[in-house]
Amino acid sequence: MRSMTPSGASGATLLSTAIAACVLATLAVFGAAHAGAIDYDPRRSASLRVCDDHQQHGRIEQARKCYSLLLTDSNLITQAEARWALGDLRAANELFRRAVQDNDRAVQARVRWGWLFVQTHQYADAAELFRQALRIFPKDVHAKLGLAQTFAERFEGQAKPLLEEVLRENDELPAAHVLAARMALEEGQLAAAERALDRAAQLTAQQKQPPLEIYALRAAVELSRERSPHAWIQRALDYNPRYGAVFATLAHFEVMRRRYREATVLLRRAVEVQPDLWSAHAELGANLLRLGDVAEARSHLATAYSGDPYSPTTVNSLRLLDRIDEFETTTAHVEIGAHVYQVKTRLHRDEAAVLRPYALDLAQRGIDAFSKRYGFTLREPMSLELYPDHDDFAVRVAALPGIGLLGVTFGYVIAMDSPSGRAVGDFHWGGTLWHEMAHVFTLEATEHRVPRWLSEGISVFEEWRTGPTPGVAVPPEAIMALKENRLLPVAALDSGFIRPSYPNQVQVSYVQAGLLCLFIEERFGFEHLAALLRQFTRNVSTEQAVANVFRMSSEEFDRQFDAYARARYQTLLAHMDEWDEQQERAHEAAEKEQWADAVEAARRAAALYPEHIGSGSPHLLLAHALDKLGRRREALAALERYYTAGGWDPAALRDLAHWLEEAGRPRESIAVLAALNYADPLNPAQHEELGERLLSEAQNAAALREFQALLALSAQDPAAAYFGAARAHRALGDAAASRRNVLDALAAAPHFKPAQEFLLQMIEERQNNE
Amino acid sequence: MERVCSRRFEVGTRSTTRRSFAAVNRRSAAPGSAYIATCSRRIASLAAFLVLLASSRGWGAEYTFIVAGLGGEPQYEARFREQANALAAFARQSADADAVIVLSGPEATRNAVRRALTTLTQSVQAQDAVTIVLIGHGSFDGEDYRLNLPGPDPTGRELAAWFDQLPSRRQLIVNATSASGAVAEDWKRKHRIVITATKSGGERTATRFAQHWTAAATTTAADVNKDDLVTAAEAFDYARRQVETAFKADAALATEHARLEGENASTFAVAGLGAAHASAGPETAGLLAQRGALELRLNEVKERKTALTEEAYYDELEQVLVKLALLQRRIDASRTSIEGGG
Repeated sequence: MRSMTPSGASGATLLSTAIAACVLATLAVFGAAHAGAIDYDPRRSASLRVCDDHQQHGRIEQARKCYSLLLTDSNLITQAEARWALGDLRAANELFRRAVQDNDRAVQARVRWGWLFVQTHQYADAAELFRQALRIFPKDVHAKLGLAQTFAERFEGQAKPLLEEVLRENDELPAAHVLAARMALEEGQLAAAERALDRAAQLTAQQKQPPLEIYALRAAVELSRERSPHAWIQRALDYNPRYGAVFATLAHFEVMRRRYREATVLLRRAVEVQPDLWSAHAELGANLLRLGDVAEARSHLATAYSGDPYSPTTVNSLRLLDRIDEFETTTAHVEIGAHVYQVKTRLHRDEAAVLRPYALDLAQRGIDAFSKRYGFTLREPMSLELYPDHDDFAVRVAALPGIGLLGVTFGYVIAMDSPSGRAVGDFHWGGTLWHEMAHVFTLEATEHRVPRWLSEGISVFEEWRTGPTPGVAVPPEAIMALKENRLLPVAALDSGFIRPSYPNQVQVSYVQAGLLCLFIEERFGFEHLAALLRQFTRNVSTEQAVANVFRMSSEEFDRQFDAYARARYQTLLAHMDEWDEQQERAHEAAEKEQWADAVEAARRAAALYPEHIGSGSPHLLLAHALDKLGRRREALAALERYYTAGGWDPAALRDLAHWLEEAGRPRESIAVLAALNYADPLNPAQHEELGERLLSEAQNAAALREFQALLALSAQDPAAAYFGAARAHRALGDAAASRRNVLDALAAAPHFKPAQEFLLQMIEERQNNE
Repeated sequence: MERVCSRRFEVGTRSTTRRSFAAVNRRSAAPGSAYIATCSRRIASLAAFLVLLASSRGWGAEYTFIVAGLGGEPQYEARFREQANALAAFARQSADADAVIVLSGPEATRNAVRRALTTLTQSVQAQDAVTIVLIGHGSFDGEDYRLNLPGPDPTGRELAAWFDQLPSRRQLIVNATSASGAVAEDWKRKHRIVITATKSGGERTATRFAQHWTAAATTTAADVNKDDLVTAAEAFDYARRQVETAFKADAALATEHARLEGENASTFAVAGLGAAHASAGPETAGLLAQRGALELRLNEVKERKTALTEEAYYDELEQVLVKLALLQRRIDASRTSIEGGG
């Protein structure tokens, strides 16, 4: 089966966006996740435990003296632990290395060395050490637990089954129950988290282990229930007045809920209580960046770096901040009805002039549409940040380069790849921006209480319904998941985003969430979708919200949705094999240039699956084959179907625009050219053509925008852009601007005859008027 | 007399500036050519031809030699041949067919290249302009550049030696192959502009430069100042920018960075478009002289931009540009009259 790849369609865009958000959630939080972790391993030496006790009660000087005395201990592991506790990670690393070299069957040394790598964010190395330990002693639950922790840090699906295996083998490990509680909390399973914490508390009491992590997680449970975590915070601080990790842990879960302001307050408390909690400084810096406070973010990141130079996220963030001057930040006022909204843009100076008008145009349309549809008025300026270097964007949102993100929303701040950050046709930046703007509304309208599935679902749904490439685009992976009963119940759909259990599950979850919203709209009416969102202005579960709005259980809701989805894709589900076969035939025929055969197969494939507008879309194949056969009229109809279904491949749309023009449909042709600005905005020829066409249709303001974009893209050949702007200004009645522009055109190209004639005409008219 | 001269200019511009090898070989016996040269010298003295005469179109004949090397794969073979043919077809629009030599496919062997350059060497005179374009794949082993052709590949040194035989004092060599940067320094000579698709021999990936050079040399796309004349500098800038844009559009790491070595690239014409094809009589020449003076004045105003208020700058610009526009009308009318035989 030809699978859909993340290119060529709005569906693909949202899928890539989906991956993006998941990775964000994964990476944005890990800094705090391990802060203050405690070694519960019973093999830990008694001499270390004495020092640990000082440390865990905040008696820093005593702890320091105690650990210092162990630096000459005969046991290398004890020496390494003492070095580690004193902050000399390099020496600790070397000692663990020696311990392992001295004994190639050493299990505990490998496990603890692995944990050192976890602390220094080197998860691949950590996992390798845990695996080595397991190769030596396959039943070592501490190694398994370390491996599970490594998976959990990276939000990998293997974490859960491995942890369950550990717990089956040994139910008396506090660390395992603490990890289980943390993972349950991350998935919003509060009851399960509480059960795990109860067991962990019982075990720590029995084993005389510190209860600090349990207090911190209990505080997080309270916070998740929208109750005061104060009592648990106080218990933690009573135990250890320097236990900043209690605040960092709370902040971790606030970030997961995308409540960045609240997380910032907590992280400030964390570093206040424990100034050397470097992970909290790093997370505070990252959070302040999300909120747009660059100066203070830099300060905390620098502090984090001074104490933890191993964190790639901190280093990358600081590197990005060093280049922040390359970006232009402006504030525009957008009027919609009686409201004036502020929209801030942070764009690279090389492309700001081209992109800003289109970004602001989409912002205005988005604010207008979403305010009306969801009944929420923005309370703060919305910020749009577009990064031409994808790694800068990745660092901006998750502090790590090289990850497959497209766009991310932090409350009122949207950060995303600029169209120049990816190959033309790889992503639809307008669709991505639309998707992210919908998040601004769903997050802010609910003060970030909206569950992930609904926020993503509405974003996907709005791409389909109101976005710049309207059309329901469901990729083959989602259809296959439906066919194989792999869609999740609505109440558990968040886990499909956070810890996917099969490849592509994140993408499938996005589409499922979008289809759920579509189902609600079509079955109950759009107002029910808005009502469902409003349910989350308070702390309710998905089950409760569904029951309140639809008067049915979430199980019944799932049943009805399943029936709806199966009915919607009835034809395709019944003919998946045939569709696959026809797709294959069409492609093979096209490769052999057997166009008549390609037409037949592509036509059937398109009829079976008209929503397939991604790479290899049968609509595109059909149009191409028909055009090759000289059947332009039918080819045009095929491309129109593709466009209507949400297709946006720039080359295809350029063909469509030209064919519409040929067919005597200039206005539709112009509309397609204008739509291209949201897929491929950095193409000078396109702006020139659209500008000229708009001028010919007397759409002068729109034409002026195109020529101004052309000018921004044509620094070395600006004459045509200036001349176009001169004509547009004149048509708009701005004689002075028209004069300046035609003179600029001729200053750049003194022999530019149309501009010369325009100048002479202008002079003549001026003389006649004098 | 003026009338005759102008007619001769018409002939000269249209058919002699890109002279055929046959015609060139007979040149000493052609009575028109001396007269043309006389007229050329007269024109050359006029300021109006500051740009035009400084360019290769100003005097002498123009020769074009294009080699499309081995593609290795069918799509490259076809692309190289298409580019070579497009360049040749455009050159032939203003020249006799045999002033333009193209070698491509199996014909483009080392010996054929050497023979063609030998023939060219015999035909070309010092004042003539020669443009050589090499399309295809090149390689560099750290010591020698090689142009990939059917059979033995000529090395960069061999090619340099053959090029050095050309007596022309106005040479443009465009090596659009991969690894072409290896020869940029070695091929550079006093009267030669060398353009390479890559900055060094280390850039070995198949290049995109030829495609954009072809567009630059056959369309108005590269004519930034709209004077209907594409210079080597304009074509180079255009092709370089387009290559850069193409890599950006693909979000790919740029694997080629074009180089230009040598002087006077801004006065070496690689394509005449529209009016630049047309002839220039004495009357036109006088007008062109005035235009040249006005262009100098325009440059002065532009240079003083920062010293002027915005209003004063545009006022001064307008004065000069209106004069230029009015003058251009007269130049066009004059050319029309020549073309119409009036």
